[in-house]
Amino acid sequence: MQRAAKCALRLDLSRAFCLSRSGTVVVMQKSLPPPRDEEEKAMLDSMLRVDHAGEYGANRIYAGQMAVLSRTRTGPLIQYMWDQEKMHLEKFNEILGEHRVRPTLLLPLWNIAGFALGMILTRIACLLAFEGTMSCTVAVEESISEHYNSQIQTLMEAEPERYTELLQVIKEFCDDEKKNRDTGLEHDAESVPGYLLLKTVIQVDCKAAIYILQRI
Amino acid sequence: MAALIRGLRAGRALRGLGGVAVQGTVSLQCSNVRRGFHRAALLRLASDSKSDTSVPPPSYHEVHTAGESSSSSAQGESSEDAQPNTSFQDQSGEHGEDYETEEQLQARILTAALEFVPQHGWTVEAIAAAAETLGLSSASTGMFNNGAGDLVLHFVAQCNAQLAETLAEQNNQVQLGQAEAKKTAEFLKDAVETRLRMLIPYIDTWPQAMSILLLPHNIPDSLKHLSTMVDDIWYYAGDRSTDVNWYTRRAALTGIYNTTELVMVQDSSPDFEETWAFLDNRIKDVVNMANTAKQVQATGEAVVQGLMGAAITLKNLTGMNQRR
Repeated sequence: MQRAAKCALRLDLSRAFCLSRSGTVVVMQKSLPPPRDEEEKAMLDSMLRVDHAGEYGANRIYAGQMAVLSRTRTGPLIQYMWDQEKMHLEKFNEILGEHRVRPTLLLPLWNIAGFALGMILTRIACLLAFEGTMSCTVAVEESISEHYNSQIQTLMEAEPERYTELLQVIKEFCDDEKKNRDTGLEHDAESVPGYLLLKTVIQVDCKAAIYILQRI
Repeated sequence: MAALIRGLRAGRALRGLGGVAVQGTVSLQCSNVRRGFHRAALLRLASDSKSDTSVPPPSYHEVHTAGESSSSSAQGESSEDAQPNTSFQDQSGEHGEDYETEEQLQARILTAALEFVPQHGWTVEAIAAAAETLGLSSASTGMFNNGAGDLVLHFVAQCNAQLAETLAEQNNQVQLGQAEAKKTAEFLKDAVETRLRMLIPYIDTWPQAMSILLLPHNIPDSLKHLSTMVDDIWYYAGDRSTDVNWYTRRAALTGIYNTTELVMVQDSSPDFEETWAFLDNRIKDVVNMANTAKQVQATGEAVVQGLMGAAITLKNLTGMNQRR
């Protein structure tokens, strides 16, 4: 019975995944207008650099989570979400290459830090709650959606018509992350005793990371 | 005169704060006044003025009414008749344009100064000589806070722009199918050679320029030029990496470029053959290193997999892998 429910959930998600896939902007066209001055280029550069590093970090966090959860019942779900993040990362890789944005120097650090964060937090959550909890996922996805939201706000305040493709991409990714978070919530992620603490830790981490990444 | 120029610099700074693109009427009139005064002062001090003596220095009143008419154009250097210019946004060229920005004027002087570099070196004297050939007073070197540094940086920026153009054109041709894409090593070699060949006319005085670029207050700018040049070359070579490779490749190319430049400066072979041979060898070195790194990584991965396999076999043998 549980298996059927899980299969149904996976089918639903994969259908949504396909839909979002077909709605993705085709690679060939440029996602950004050519920058009209240094300031704009600097702002877009730092935004894209943070986003790229964020997706890269999310990838590594999922890898860390999988290292703990791969044999539990939430394993396939996490694997599915991880594949989605990989797609996001690919898209950002393309944008960075197209627009000659410098990737952050801290990527190797992010590699290790993300993996460690995912693994350690998931292990702690599993100790405190049932095995296979998705609290870490929910907390991370929440922070990422907040970050994307604030970026969308910034772009909309600046000039929505100019950045339509970029806004589309970011909105799509934001929706994906929210969906993942909702999925995690459905799996009783909030039932972990220290959930608020976990969420705060991750939020502070993310804010610090964003601050550093905008500069380095 | 010095106070005037100080005032102009302050005005320039203020204008920079306000953004270059702002062309409000008020600011335009203010800048007209400033420019009018500036040009008036320069023209009055010019000894052998090549400017049309028939064009009187613009008066305050004239400048104010210059909103529509072109009578205040004090372009003594341009021999063409100034046409009525109603488009203030037109900054594309000097022909028929009345309001040249200070940056454009500076660029023109510095470009002209390059001709005097073999004679005077990379110094303020070269700039002064150029200013005089353009009909300005040699005191207009006061416009350049950095003196010789401005000249060298202008030259470097010019060379880099030329290089970017050449690379973009080559890229276009490859995309249109009119030319074949080069291999990375060959592309890098050609790009660096093209860029270094631009130094040949000034090679005798280039050590002086290099030392000017190494002065502490010039280092940020020269590093910026160097990094944009290296980024351009790699971009047109097809590098779209978004990880640490981005940094290692650019660092490697920067090293190659700098060392080859040093070799070129003391090379006395015909047409700098030794320099190009040196460049070739350095690029081969880097390519070899990259290949070796890949091989080491592959070998490392294979070794790790072998060890993991051995560990699992051991666990199986000792029965530790069974779930009871």
